[in-house]
Amino acid sequence: MGSSKDAAAATTIGYFTTVESERTGWTGGLLVLNASGRPLEFQCTLPIRPSRAHEILFGTTLRQHLISEVIGPTLLQKCRTPISLLCCGQTEAITLQENLPRSASSLPAGSAVGSTVVAVVQRDEEKRSRLLEGHCRLALGNATLHVAMERIDDAETAIAGLNEMVDTFEPFERITEAIREAQSQMARAA
Amino acid sequence: MKRRARWRGRRECGFRAKPDSATTPNDGAPSVDPLSGDPVSLDPLSAPRPSQASHEVAIGVPADATPQPELTCEIDAALSWSLLPCGEPFDDVSLCERETFHNGGFEVVTRTLDLSPLQTTRVPIKLPALRAKTNGFLFPEAASWIPKNQDAPKASVAGRIGQDDAVGKLSKKPRRKSIKHARIKPPNDIVKLQDRLYYLLQPPLDLLVGSGQLNFPFEPFPYQLDGIAFLFPRYACVLADEMGLGKTMQAISTMRMLLCSGELRNILLICPKPLVSNWLREFGVWAPEIPVMAIEGNAAKREFQWRATNAPVKIANYELLMRDKEIVLESGLHFDLVALDEAQRIKNSNNTTSEIVRAIPRTRSWALTGTPVENSPDDLVGIFDFLSPGYLTTGMPLPQMAKAAGDYILRRTKDMVLDDMPPKLFRDADVDLTPEQWARYEAAESDGIIHLEELEESLTVQHVFELVLRLKQICNFDPVTGSSAKLQRLEADMEEVAASGQKAILFSQWTKTIEKMRPSLDRFGVLEYHGKIPHKQRETVIDQFKNDPEKRIILMSYGAGSVGLNLQFCRYVFLFDRWWNPAIEDQAINRAHRIGAAGSVTVTRMMAAGTIEQRIASVLDQKREMFDTLFSAQNEPVSTHDQAPKPASNSPLTRTGGLTRDEIFGLFDLRAPGGKKVA
Repeated sequence: MGSSKDAAAATTIGYFTTVESERTGWTGGLLVLNASGRPLEFQCTLPIRPSRAHEILFGTTLRQHLISEVIGPTLLQKCRTPISLLCCGQTEAITLQENLPRSASSLPAGSAVGSTVVAVVQRDEEKRSRLLEGHCRLALGNATLHVAMERIDDAETAIAGLNEMVDTFEPFERITEAIREAQSQMARAA
Repeated sequence: MKRRARWRGRRECGFRAKPDSATTPNDGAPSVDPLSGDPVSLDPLSAPRPSQASHEVAIGVPADATPQPELTCEIDAALSWSLLPCGEPFDDVSLCERETFHNGGFEVVTRTLDLSPLQTTRVPIKLPALRAKTNGFLFPEAASWIPKNQDAPKASVAGRIGQDDAVGKLSKKPRRKSIKHARIKPPNDIVKLQDRLYYLLQPPLDLLVGSGQLNFPFEPFPYQLDGIAFLFPRYACVLADEMGLGKTMQAISTMRMLLCSGELRNILLICPKPLVSNWLREFGVWAPEIPVMAIEGNAAKREFQWRATNAPVKIANYELLMRDKEIVLESGLHFDLVALDEAQRIKNSNNTTSEIVRAIPRTRSWALTGTPVENSPDDLVGIFDFLSPGYLTTGMPLPQMAKAAGDYILRRTKDMVLDDMPPKLFRDADVDLTPEQWARYEAAESDGIIHLEELEESLTVQHVFELVLRLKQICNFDPVTGSSAKLQRLEADMEEVAASGQKAILFSQWTKTIEKMRPSLDRFGVLEYHGKIPHKQRETVIDQFKNDPEKRIILMSYGAGSVGLNLQFCRYVFLFDRWWNPAIEDQAINRAHRIGAAGSVTVTRMMAAGTIEQRIASVLDQKREMFDTLFSAQNEPVSTHDQAPKPASNSPLTRTGGLTRDEIFGLFDLRAPGGKKVA
C-alpha cells in the first residue's frame, strides 16, 4: 500500500472470541470493523457442546481444538468481508494462523495484506504476558499483539492503518454482548 | 519384559495386590495408582514406590568393618502388587536373576523378574467431529469491502428498521446498567435480533469521541453520552433529566448523529416561544453544520417555512401551532422526529395544543422535560398520549404507572451524575413580620375566615384561594405602609452578596411585588425580568446582568424566569415568596445551579413565620414525601437528596405540589361544602 491513508482505507480488523457457558456450551463470535472501529460484519456460531468423550480424549487440548480448529475456521469461512488483522482474545487461538480457510489465506487484491494475520491480544499491563514461542510482540492501542514471526511485516502493515484504535479490547465486549443477546432471544423462543 | 526391583533400607509398602487393574492396557497412557490416583511407572527404578515385591528382598551389609545397622525392606504381600503367587518366597522364583553390588557402603542385592507381556484390549469409541453452525449479517457499510465476484448467498443487512417495526409497538426498554462505555442499547420495541445487534455492535460513543470521529465543541460529560445513547435508537421516549444537566445538548447531539447517519431527514422541534432563540443558539454551538429554521413571521412566510426543505430542523413554538394547525396537520407534512421541549405543556390531554401536537404526522416522538410530573401523576399520561397513546391511562395505580413509564424515561438528577457539582445549600429564612404587617395580616385572616364562613353553601375554592393570595401578599408587603420584613432581610443579605462580589437572582410570584422592592434595591444595580418586560428587551437584560459587574441582582417572576436561562455565574438565589408547585421553584433555582456553576449555590427561601406561608409549605412537603415514597421503587436510584433541611424534591419523576381543593380548604380549617372537614 502507498500512504497510511490508503492502508487505513483498505484495512479491516476482525475480532474473534468464544464464550463458554456450562448451560449452552461454546459460542464463537467474529466482528469485523473498519479502521475507524465501525462494524462491517458480524458472524456467530450456534452453541457447540462437546461430549464427555471429547472432553476425555482431547483433555487439555480441547479448548485449542474448539477455538482454533473448529469455531475459528468456520467463522472465517463464513465471513464475507476480507480481514486484514484478526485479533483473538484467547491464547488458544494462536494456531488459527495455520488453520485459515482459503478465503482468509488469500485475500482479494486491494486488501492491506495478502492473507489474514492472526494475532493474540493481551493487555499491556498483564504481568503474565509472556512471549509465545515463534511469535513477536507488537503494540496496538492499549494492547500487545502476539503475531507469528513470519507474519510480522504484514501485521505491521495492517496496524499502520489502525491509528484511530483507542481501546483494542472494547470490541470483544461488543461480541460478548451480542452473543448474550442472541442467547437470551433463543432462550425466550425456546 | 523384565522388571528390576531395587530398594535400600527398610520400608513398608501399602499396595494392594491387584494385578488386573494395574495391567489394564491404556494405549500407552500412564498407569494410575488405584488408591491414590497418582501415576505409577511400570519401571520400578523410576517408580515413586515399589510396584512389585514380596517379602524381604534386600539386605544391606556394610562394606567396611564399621558396624552398621542392618536395613531391610519388607513388603506386605497382601497389600502389594505382585505377579508372584501369593505367599511364594521370592528367593524360590526360578526365573529370578540375582545381582549384587555395593553402593554407599551397602551391599545391595537386586533380582530381576521376567514377566510375560501385558495383553491389551481395544475399546473403540466413535468421536464425532465437532462442527459449528454460524449465523451472521453484514452492516450496510460492508458493501464496499466485499469483492464483487463472490457468489456467496446474499447476506441480510441489519439496521433497516421500517416504520412499521418501530412505531406503535412500544413495549419496554432495557433497564440501564451502569457500564463503563456509553453504548447504544436497543430498546425493547426493536424485536428482530439482527436489528438489535445493529445497535449493540456499534462502537461506544466515548470511544468515538476519544478517537476524534465524533466532535463536540466541549467535552460532554459521560452521563450526557449515556443520554445520547439512550435517545439514539428510540422512537418514543422522555428525556427527563433534572434542569441544568443539558437536555438541550443531548437532544441536539443525537439529532445531529441521526441526521448524519441518514436515519433522520426532517425534524420538528416545538418549544415555548421564549426559548426559541435559546434553541437556535444551542444548535449553533452543538451542531453548527446543520441548517436550522425558526418558524416565525406572518402567515404567508410561515407557510413557506413549513414547506421548506432546505433546513432539516425546524423550530416552532407551541403558541404558533394553534395558528398553523391546518398547514401542519392537513398539508401532507411528515416529520421523521417531533421533539417537544418543556413537554409538561401537553400534560393536559384535553387542551388544544396537546391535540394538535398528538396529531402531527411523525415517525419518532421525543419529549424533553425536567418535570414530567408537576401536579399529579396523570401529567405523565398526557405526555404518553403523545408518545404512545393509551399506554398509560389516568387513574392507573401509581406503582404500576411508575414501572411502565420508567421503561421509556431516562431521568438523572445532579446528585446522581455530577460528583463534582457544587452543592446547593438551602436556607429557610423564617422572617417575623413587621408589627404593621402582622396587624394587617391578623385582621385580614380573621375577617377573611369570617367572610368565608358566612358564605356557607356558596363557598367555593376560589373564595379561599383569594384569601390565600391576599394573605401571601401581606406577607410580602404591608399594603398600607409598604413595610416588609422580607425586604429588610433581603437588603441585609444583598449587602453581603454585593460585598463578596457575587450576584443574585430573586424570584417572586407577583410583578407588583418586584416593582415595590425595586427602589430599595437600586443601589445593587437591580434588573427586572418578568412578563411586563417585552420579549425583545429580555435578552438585553440577561446580557447586561451577565456582563455588567455593577448589576448585582435580577428580579424575576417565576413565570418568565424559571425556564431556559443559563445564569450559572450566580451564587445566590432568593425565593421572596413560595410558588404553589415545588417543581417550578426547582426550575427557578436551577437557573443558577446548573452545569458550569462557579461554586455552591445558596438558596434562601423566605417565609413569614406563623403565617399561611408556613402552612402551605408544610402541606407541599407532606405531599412531596408521599410521592417520593411512591416513586422510590422506580428504576433509577437516587443517591442523595438535596442538602435541604426538608425534602428538596430531587426524587425521580416526582414533582408534585399543586394543592387540591380539600387541601386549600384545610389551610383555614374550613369545611368544604358537601365535603368533610379537612384538618
